[in-house]
Amino acid sequence: MSRMSCDEAVRQFFTYLDQAMSATALQEFEQHLEECLDCCDKLEFSRRVDALVRTRVGDAPLPEGVEDRIRQRLASAATDPEE
Amino acid sequence: MAGVTGPRFAALTLPHLSALYRLALRMTGDPSAAEDLVQETYVRALRSFAKLREPARAKAWLFQILSHLVIDRHRSSPREVPLPEDDELERFSLYERIADEDPFPYSDDVHGDFLAEFHDEDVRRALLAIPEIYRVPLVLVYVEEMSYRELAEMLGCPLGTVMSRLFRGRKALERELWDCARRRGLVKEWPR
Repeated sequence: MSRMSCDEAVRQFFTYLDQAMSATALQEFEQHLEECLDCCDKLEFSRRVDALVRTRVGDAPLPEGVEDRIRQRLASAATDPEE
Repeated sequence: MAGVTGPRFAALTLPHLSALYRLALRMTGDPSAAEDLVQETYVRALRSFAKLREPARAKAWLFQILSHLVIDRHRSSPREVPLPEDDELERFSLYERIADEDPFPYSDDVHGDFLAEFHDEDVRRALLAIPEIYRVPLVLVYVEEMSYRELAEMLGCPLGTVMSRLFRGRKALERELWDCARRRGLVKEWPR
C-alpha cells in the first residue's frame, strides 16, 4: 500500500516531469501511481500541458541588426562610464 | 570597448546572444523590450566582467544577469493584476475544472480537446501574465531545459525554493489558460 497521499503526489508532478526527483522520492511516487489511476490521468494531463507550452513558446530567431546595435552600445559603454 | 577587455569579452559573450534574445523575448513578450533587456544585460556584464572567474560559465552568468534584471524590474513596479492567495492558487487544478465544466460533452478526450483549442499566442500570453518570480524559472526550464540545480545556482536560492516556484508557476499558468478559455467562450463557470 502506497504511503503517499494524492495531494502529496500532485505536488510532485512537476518535479517528476522535470526529472528532478531523488531516487527514494521517485520510488514512492511510482508506487503511488501504480495504485492510483486518478493520479495517473492527472499526471498525463500535466505532461500534455507541459508539451503544449514547450511547443508553442517555440524558437525566436535573432532579428537583423540586434548584434550590431549591441556592439555599438558596448563600445559606447566602454568609453563612457556614465552610459 | 577599449583595451584588452573588448575582444575577449565579445568572444566569450556574443556567441550566446541568440539564446539571450530568445530568453528575453519569452520574458517580455515584445521584441523591442527584449532587445533593451539584452542590451542592458550586456552592459552590466561588461561592467562586472572581472567577476567572471570561469569563462566556461559565460552563458550561465549572462542568463543570471538577465534573470535578475527581470525580477528586479518587477519588484520596482507593482503588478496590475494580483494573483489569488497562495492556498487558492496551489489548489487550482485545470484538470478538475475541465472535468467539472465538461466543455465538450460528446468528446472521448475532453482534456485533449480543450488543450487543442489554444493558439500559440494564447500560450505565450498566459506565460507573460504570470508573475516574474515564477515566470523566470519556468521559462528557463521550458526554453533552455535547465536543471533544478542550475536554476538554484543561477537564482541564488535553495532547491526547495526552485521547486516551490516552479509548482506555483505551473499552477498560475494553468489558471491563466483557464481564464483565457473563459474569455474566448470555450467554457462557462456554472454556479455550483
